[in-house]
Amino acid sequence: MSAVSDSLPITETATPETQADVAQALRDAYAARRAVYPLGGGTSLDYGLAPKQPGLGLSLGALQRVIDYPSRDLTITVEAGITIAELTAAMAAEGQQLPIDLPHAQVATLGGAIATNWSGARRYGYGTLRDYIIGISAVDGRGTPFKAGGRVVKNVAGYDFCKLLTGSLGTLSVITQVTLKAKPRPQRSAFAVAAVNNLAAASALLDALASSATTPVAIELIAGIAWSDISGELLPAGDLRIVVGLEGTAAEVDWMREQLAREWQPLGQSPEFITADLQVSALWTALNDFSSGPSELTVKINVLPSRAAELVGVVRELDATASIQAHAGNGIVLARFNELPPGGMLATMVKRLQPAARAAGGSAVILSANSGERTAQAVWGSPAADWPLMRAVKKQFDPHNILNPGRFVY
Amino acid sequence: MLVYECDGFVIEKNCPDVVVFPRTAQQVAAIVQLGNEYDVPVLPRGAGTSLAGGCLPVGGGIMVVLTRMKRIVEINLRDRYAVVEPGVVNIWLTKALAGAGFHYAPDPSSQGACTIGGNLATNSGGPHTLKYGVTVNHVLGLEAVLADGSIVEIGGPAEDSPGLDLTGVMVGSEGTLAIATKIWVRITRDPQGYRTLLGIFESVDDATNAISAIIGAGIVPAALEMMDQGILVALEEAFQFGFPLDAQAILLIEVDGLEAGLDAQRDQIIELCQRSGAREVRQARDAAERQKLWKCRKQAFGAVGRLSPSYCTQDGVVPRTKLPHMLRRIYQIGEKHDIKVVNVFHAGDGNLHPILLFDERDAAQVKRVLKASEEILDECIACGGSVTGEHGIGVEKIEFMSKLFAPEDLEVMERLRLAFNPAGRLSPHKMLPTAGACGMEQHHPGRRAAV
Ligand SMILES: Cc1cc2nc3c(=O)[nH]c(=O)nc-3n(C[C@H](O)[C@H](O)[C@H](O)COP(=O)(O)OP(=O)(O)OC[C@H]3O[C@@H](n4cnc5c(N)ncnc54)[C@H](O)[C@@H]3O)c2cc1C
Ligand SMILES: Cc1cc2nc3c(=O)[nH]c(=O)nc-3n(C[C@H](O)[C@H](O)[C@H](O)COP(=O)(O)OP(=O)(O)OC[C@H]3O[C@@H](n4cnc5c(N)ncnc54)[C@H](O)[C@@H]3O)c2cc1C
Repeated sequence: MSAVSDSLPITETATPETQADVAQALRDAYAARRAVYPLGGGTSLDYGLAPKQPGLGLSLGALQRVIDYPSRDLTITVEAGITIAELTAAMAAEGQQLPIDLPHAQVATLGGAIATNWSGARRYGYGTLRDYIIGISAVDGRGTPFKAGGRVVKNVAGYDFCKLLTGSLGTLSVITQVTLKAKPRPQRSAFAVAAVNNLAAASALLDALASSATTPVAIELIAGIAWSDISGELLPAGDLRIVVGLEGTAAEVDWMREQLAREWQPLGQSPEFITADLQVSALWTALNDFSSGPSELTVKINVLPSRAAELVGVVRELDATASIQAHAGNGIVLARFNELPPGGMLATMVKRLQPAARAAGGSAVILSANSGERTAQAVWGSPAADWPLMRAVKKQFDPHNILNPGRFVY
Repeated sequence: MLVYECDGFVIEKNCPDVVVFPRTAQQVAAIVQLGNEYDVPVLPRGAGTSLAGGCLPVGGGIMVVLTRMKRIVEINLRDRYAVVEPGVVNIWLTKALAGAGFHYAPDPSSQGACTIGGNLATNSGGPHTLKYGVTVNHVLGLEAVLADGSIVEIGGPAEDSPGLDLTGVMVGSEGTLAIATKIWVRITRDPQGYRTLLGIFESVDDATNAISAIIGAGIVPAALEMMDQGILVALEEAFQFGFPLDAQAILLIEVDGLEAGLDAQRDQIIELCQRSGAREVRQARDAAERQKLWKCRKQAFGAVGRLSPSYCTQDGVVPRTKLPHMLRRIYQIGEKHDIKVVNVFHAGDGNLHPILLFDERDAAQVKRVLKASEEILDECIACGGSVTGEHGIGVEKIEFMSKLFAPEDLEVMERLRLAFNPAGRLSPHKMLPTAGACGMEQHHPGRRAAV
């Protein structure tokens, strides 16, 4: 394990083949009070604070089977180490999908995606990964294997650990198996795109989209150098662009195109449309891969949707060349800085981005950073009011703090 | 006080020692602190429409009725959320949004009475969850009073707040973790149009096969509800809608969304129903007829009152493709125990609600009802399903938890409860068979009523 373990203090790696193996490894680690680092595809191992305690790398790569796929029930049960690409292929064969838009699909695993709770552009239309998990099996920090939920789409028996483990960053349990809801694949996918002159114009267009009669699946505001490669070919010239994803039947997509043109006219905008399959998929790929592109510092800001454009402005004030992708319909702003903004990490995060995000109802966290000091404050911001409760939960699931110690703020 | 001895689950009863009606979170916090001081249970309650006994005051104690905390605090259309106090009745929010082009999507059949706090605690569903999801998909955050009497905010109106998803685990926790005093919910755009269809079937099998055919074809209707002949008779008596009384089952199917796509979806559904043997597929002619159909559906439970002095509504779930088998078994089990069973349920989700008709005054019948219920739920488990899709475990289904889950699963759930509710004073003896509390005897809360 080269690249994977580089960023982690891993002294040895195990590759369990069953949930029972995972449980055994965790029981041993619990007894020895030894750190355990669950490993998926290794695409986001530097998310969060850098762990320092030497320990065992637990690769989930061998847990990759499709356990059951009753496609007519629109559910699928798989092991957590399955790659997103394999999962996508299995579902596509049945005309179905898990609409969560991950980068590095060839290597990223479902377990890793759940641990980081990542959802991309189409979250505006389809919701986030959290909304798709209906059953989960995992092993906690004492080595106790457990499950919650089940294989049916509606089930309220017991506590909803599917939600609790989603986004827990592998600090509560190692996820071994998951049951998901599936969605039918849409007949057609297209984009409406427009260049805007400034953030005020962007805001006006975003406001219009929020009350549009159309039903977009993605509402994106993009800016900066990262998009220059595909400009001209896929996107209208300009620095600030709005990209709207449209999906549905052919008739629905056609209607939405006409309707958007009508709605934008009074704002002095006329959308361009991208409808050719190759171009459409190229743009989806660009949108999905954005956050994994080259960067000195990548941040994620979450605010009220109406404030997304404002936060894009804050990022550009810090660094006019920053590359930005805002899932503006959801209030999520991803920003890649080519170099650390003046003043360094703490000033960027703690003095500028976090207060601006807080004022807009949200927060700002570091997704990845090559340099600069990653303090808890810089990475996660100041603890929210429910922090003591989170610690109490962590203590119950992982009393010796062996799961990804140091990554979160415990 | 007798009003508070039970909720919609009438088989077990117990009086609380005190009932309080706070108006603010601070008052709720003070009550919880008093509960701690005097070491007595504290139990939140909304409208008391729970069907699983979630509001049964096991061990007495203080009942905290939240119906006076009923303000809609804020509606933010641009950012698509509303802030409500827990006592806001579900339908009030949709009414407050009427005309603005938005609604609150979770719509339990009890929405005219139940509270959003109760919905949060039970993770309620309803006819429209097939497309729009259950309550947890619509709750963004909450303010809650914790077991130690502190008030804390969890999550909030912006998505993706960093840290553990405590909001997600609070939803559906049946009052055992904390008391919600304010709730941030998502509001949903109204669809542009609807097509509401009524598929009429000669046999239950044909109807249930049609359900799988529709979903299997990749159509996700906004709602797909089934009613069998027994319930149709009751509905017809109550509403004179013109349901065909000789049909064995009808499907109420609604698609919604952009007008541009609706006719094609409707035609496809009609074809799939016909291929599955539908005798006829009708379409609601106008908004008034659509509304009447939905009124019938939502008041179906009420209409059952005409059939029998008492009834017990069950709540099981199976994979959708197992519905034909499951319905056959339900009728067989009813016959075996000589209990009439009628069905009206969220068929698109595989969420069954067999209604067992009986007379509460006849102890022998009550016993048979409980036996039949148990067999039905066991069969749901055998089909890979669950014993509750939306009503919760409460006290009613505690014994099923160890059939659904292994001891380790329950142990981990127990530990989560300890993190929130270490002394076990909040809603003791609910949901988990092991849910003991320090200093409280472990016992089943005595089956009273007619048993
Ligand atoms: C800078 C950055 C940018 C990103 N940008 C995007 C983006 O634009 N779009 C997008 O969709 N996603 C994005 N992600 C998320 C990333 O693509 C997903 O998290 C990815 O799916 C992780 O999968 P993996 O298998 O590579 O996980 P890994 O990198 O191997 O692991 C990630 C974390 O999850 C834990 N983990 C892994 N498997 C398990 C398991 N089975 N049980 C418990 N814990 C486990 C690990 O211990 C680690 O903490 C981004 C992440 C980062 C850090
Ligand atoms: C005719 C009828 C039809 C129904 N149809 C449906 C349906 O379609 N879908 C569905 O899901 N349910 C349905 N139900 C069940 C019931 O209406 C729901 O469970 C509802 O969510 C309960 O809300 P309530 O306000 O009545 O809560 P209560 O019955 O008062 O309480 C339910 C549970 O929530 C807890 N609780 C209440 N308020 C709070 C709070 N603020 N904080 C923490 N815990 C709290 C209580 O302790 C209890 O455990 C139906 C019931 C009836 C009688």
